[in-house]
Amino acid sequence: MLPLSLLNAAQNKPMLVELKNGETFNGHLVNCDNFMNITLREVYQTNPDGDRFWKLKECYIRGSTIKYLRIPDSLLDSVKDEQTRAREAGRSARGSHVSGAGNRGRGGPAHRARGGQTRGGPTRGRGRGRGA
Amino acid sequence: MSSLQGYVDRERLMETLYVILSPVLYIDRVLVILQDGRVIVGTLAGYDQKSNVVLSDSKERVYSTDEPVEEIPLGLYLVKGDQIVLIGEIDSEKDASTDLSDVRAEPLPAIRY
Repeated sequence: MLPLSLLNAAQNKPMLVELKNGETFNGHLVNCDNFMNITLREVYQTNPDGDRFWKLKECYIRGSTIKYLRIPDSLLDSVKDEQTRAREAGRSARGSHVSGAGNRGRGGPAHRARGGQTRGGPTRGRGRGRGA
Repeated sequence: MSSLQGYVDRERLMETLYVILSPVLYIDRVLVILQDGRVIVGTLAGYDQKSNVVLSDSKERVYSTDEPVEEIPLGLYLVKGDQIVLIGEIDSEKDASTDLSDVRAEPLPAIRY
């Protein structure tokens, strides 16, 4: 599972973010991007020593300053389930689609090419005839 | 092993063997060392190209010279790759047979630039 898909699934969930300088931010995830830039709402900020606190309505954190994020345990299972569901849905949808397209698209030209190249002289008539 | 893939979710591999192996079941875990000197053990649930990692059921091991090792449960962690110094597979048998309350060690200092 990709760390960023976990993070994306954590929207509106509570989390703790520690920065490289040791400051921590506790809040609910509003949004995030592929750089791991994030916005949090209803944030409690602590200084690196953990002895001073601030409350912020909302804050933006640049991804490159983050050390780690602590995420609710339950999220791992829900993301895993979601991924299996998506995979199975994708497989069944793709399965029917591919077999249909394969017969039409891939089957046609391949037969023609094979007939022309490998069978060369003797079967040329047949190959060309089918193609046209 | 030059890819992290081999370390991923050893737990899931074991699940399929659970029925047969349940008496000798160990869940293989990884040990991660961070640039600030923290040591975290957990199950590697995922990673990406920047070696950001997802650790489930993670615990921090706090070493000290005059107190036993303290294990602090952390839960689900997403650690940024640029903070990671080392990721290693834990030999679960050895780990299980080690009594952490007997272990005394200097804590790792943070990396300084």
